[in-house]
Amino acid sequence: MKESTAMNAPTPHTTSPTPAAGKPSDGKSSGPGRLLITVYAIFAIAATSRAGYQIATKFSEAPVAYVLSAVAAVVYIAATISLARRGAFWYKAAVLCVSVELLGVLVIGTLSLLDSVAFPDATVWSVYGKGYLFIPVVLPVLGLIWLYRNRPSVTAARKLQRGA
Amino acid sequence: MTLDGWFYAGLVVGVLSTAICVGAALLKKGPNDITLLSVAAVELFMVVYLVSAIVRLSTGEHLAGADWEFWSYLITAAVIPIGGFYWAILERSFWSNYVLAAVGLTVIVMMARMQQIWYGGPGTPTG
Repeated sequence: MKESTAMNAPTPHTTSPTPAAGKPSDGKSSGPGRLLITVYAIFAIAATSRAGYQIATKFSEAPVAYVLSAVAAVVYIAATISLARRGAFWYKAAVLCVSVELLGVLVIGTLSLLDSVAFPDATVWSVYGKGYLFIPVVLPVLGLIWLYRNRPSVTAARKLQRGA
Repeated sequence: MTLDGWFYAGLVVGVLSTAICVGAALLKKGPNDITLLSVAAVELFMVVYLVSAIVRLSTGEHLAGADWEFWSYLITAAVIPIGGFYWAILERSFWSNYVLAAVGLTVIVMMARMQQIWYGGPGTPTG
């Protein structure tokens, strides 16, 4: 099982390459979670390429905006990984990452409206992600709802019910 | 924004693949031969486009935008169907067909961006 393919976010560590379908040991990377992680992975790639391009070619034009662009990229990568991994630590990490993401898109989105000179070129979070169909502002909200619905106590209760 | 035949070909393949995968997901079916082959078709299209871009750019045509921005889009778009494929077959629930559906859409968006870099357009830095 290769872990380094761009879209193939770190796979949950299972001993067999094909975990039994429908019997995941951790709710958040299963079912709808797989689609959520896919979208996060796409945004991790998009934000990373964009930030890399901006910093490599025209950093002096708007250093603040481009550094924030890089921050957004790191947040998406961290969110993708923590959503895909299992266990209590990664659950907390995912909540942290997605919360930072929500805060980031709201703050940067507002700043980009107030001070368009400092943000001449759209970062992923400019105008609440307008250049990306506003997905950046919807994604963390869906992420937090998903994490809440799959909080550890619920997952544990579900496992118990199944008689695991 | 200039759009050429390559874009429309990609649009058709991408939309078909996404429609097939969404349809299968709505029917609560997991990834099967049909949805996986539709994603394979997207991959095939990207490989053909990649080869054609190499040929066209080495035989006189040139990009309006930055070279390495174009190539990073192209290579990423060519890898996305493979990544989506693996991520989807790791869990064969109907949700994985939505994952496969995202492949076609993403590739269409990236094709549109590549057209901007190729022909020039809003937001394209030259160089």
